Amino acid sequence: MILKTKQLSKSFGGLKAINKVDFELQKNEIRGIIGPNGSGKSTFFNLVSGIYDSDPGSYIEFDGHDITFAPPHEIATYGLSRTFQLLRLYQDMTVIDNVMSGYHTRVPYKFFDAVIGRKKIWDQERAIKEEMMELLSFVGLADYAELNASELSGGQRRLLVLARAIAMKPKLLMLDEPAAGLSPVNVDNLMKIIMQLKEKYGLTLIIIEHILKVVMDTCNSVTVFDHGQKIAEGTPAQVKDDNAVIEAYLGKKMDDEEMRKALAV
Amino acid sequence: MEKFKSIIRDYPFIAFIIAFVILAFVPSVVFTDVYQSHLATLIFVNIVVAAGLNIVKGYCGQVTVGHVGLFAVGSYTAGTLFLYLGLGFWATLPIAIIVTAFFGVAMGIPSFRLEGPYLALATLGGGEAIRLFIENGNFFRSTFGISDIPTPSLMGYNFDSPDRYYFISMTIMIIAVYFSFSILRSGVGRAFMSIREDPICAAAAGINVKKYKILAFILSAMFAGAAGAVYAHMPPGYIHPNNYTVIEMVTFLAMVVLGGLGHIWGGIIGAIVITIVYDLTRPLYKYQLLIFGLTIVLTILFMPKGLGGFIDRYFLEKRFKKKTGTEKTT
Repeated sequence: MILKTKQLSKSFGGLKAINKVDFELQKNEIRGIIGPNGSGKSTFFNLVSGIYDSDPGSYIEFDGHDITFAPPHEIATYGLSRTFQLLRLYQDMTVIDNVMSGYHTRVPYKFFDAVIGRKKIWDQERAIKEEMMELLSFVGLADYAELNASELSGGQRRLLVLARAIAMKPKLLMLDEPAAGLSPVNVDNLMKIIMQLKEKYGLTLIIIEHILKVVMDTCNSVTVFDHGQKIAEGTPAQVKDDNAVIEAYLGKKMDDEEMRKALAV
Repeated sequence: MEKFKSIIRDYPFIAFIIAFVILAFVPSVVFTDVYQSHLATLIFVNIVVAAGLNIVKGYCGQVTVGHVGLFAVGSYTAGTLFLYLGLGFWATLPIAIIVTAFFGVAMGIPSFRLEGPYLALATLGGGEAIRLFIENGNFFRSTFGISDIPTPSLMGYNFDSPDRYYFISMTIMIIAVYFSFSILRSGVGRAFMSIREDPICAAAAGINVKKYKILAFILSAMFAGAAGAVYAHMPPGYIHPNNYTVIEMVTFLAMVVLGGLGHIWGGIIGAIVITIVYDLTRPLYKYQLLIFGLTIVLTILFMPKGLGGFIDRYFLEKRFKKKTGTEKTT
């Protein structure tokens, strides 16, 4: 088991954004998380990656480490990487610097070697750069390596954010709406790249996505959130027919009696 | 030529040795009077401060307006060590660097919670507090200033005139710039930049934001401390609290902004240009502040990445055109 939460809660004032969620994830799984807006999906990501502190009584375990109270940079060193819904691109850095900064946890040399500027530092830096250029050409951004990230188009930015999250060779990658705002062709392209990267690096994935087709096609299992609670979990086919899910997404499913009543009024 | 390039790439310090040799011949070949050596020393001191400021402001994105206070700490550490213990340059320089590093920690702690203009206000207070503390303390000779701080001597050779002291300041400058280059071009520089761009994302990428923020403050403080000590021992060896006011701070900021925030050459280009302009406009001293204030505003408006970014952009567009055959416009 790579990720496990027990009684995970988070409240903002009186609002319970996440309410006693038990979550378990196996290695090599692709888990989709769906739910209406404001159902706590992103809050769940922020709690797991350490951006928010969870409420007392919560417990989060990642790859054998208790990370309930760990700061985000420590969690990242255990091998958890994530993207953000609002991208949080480093706008004023070049594309290659963006990706190389994702490599931070794997930088092999010590600070004082860097200050003195020994030869091996520059050798290692070049090796990192080559590896990252390879990753960039894999996602198709190699030509843009020296441009500022702010000069990329929306679709390219999504790819860059993905490459930056992969750069640290994570064990678990959490994608927060990777395909938001993309055209259908680009969505297919992006999902293809994500699947190729998963094979290449042996990743475990959690994907938050509103495009249900993406979730149903690619995920092994799906968790549904509503009002901060987990309301359903299972294979895509099971979840699709779950009454609670249909209610949360589409409104209540009515039987004939109720329908007749509703129409008569 | 290719081979030479690859050697420089592997051993960057060779480039700095070449720069050292070239600069060593400048006084005897180019300069016509002693004043130019003095001006060169001032440029070198400013380069060291601006290179340090570029680390914390340009790269790490922490708006500090108290840097001149750290410069003053460096100078007055050197000054008081001479005054009370009679120490010379070679002892005061390392002590000044270490003492200033500790003040850098104090200056950096507010950055954990404050951002942007709020941090600027806090550090402005810090810098002014240091100056007022010096000005009102008899221990530091208050407004009399400390005078007759001796110039350094090495193996019987005394660097006692501006054209001799040039070599001391030049050496320190070369070493400082070398360190700043190797720090900023390594992963540490990238970590600083990610914190500037987005601290939350930087933390999620495994960068310890607090540690790197304080590291940036310590490093830049060490630069300011070294510059302060060099400035204090500069002939005629006189320091006064009025040399460390907000006006000097604005000048330092103008250097970094004009040279290019977050550009590796930023502080260096800016320090050279501003110090020379400052000297040329001395007859117009009434308007100097106006000029520098305008420089900052106009640079930020029309050349947000400064001279360094401007030059970079030119070469980048050339390379991009060569590679893809298309025009890249912004």
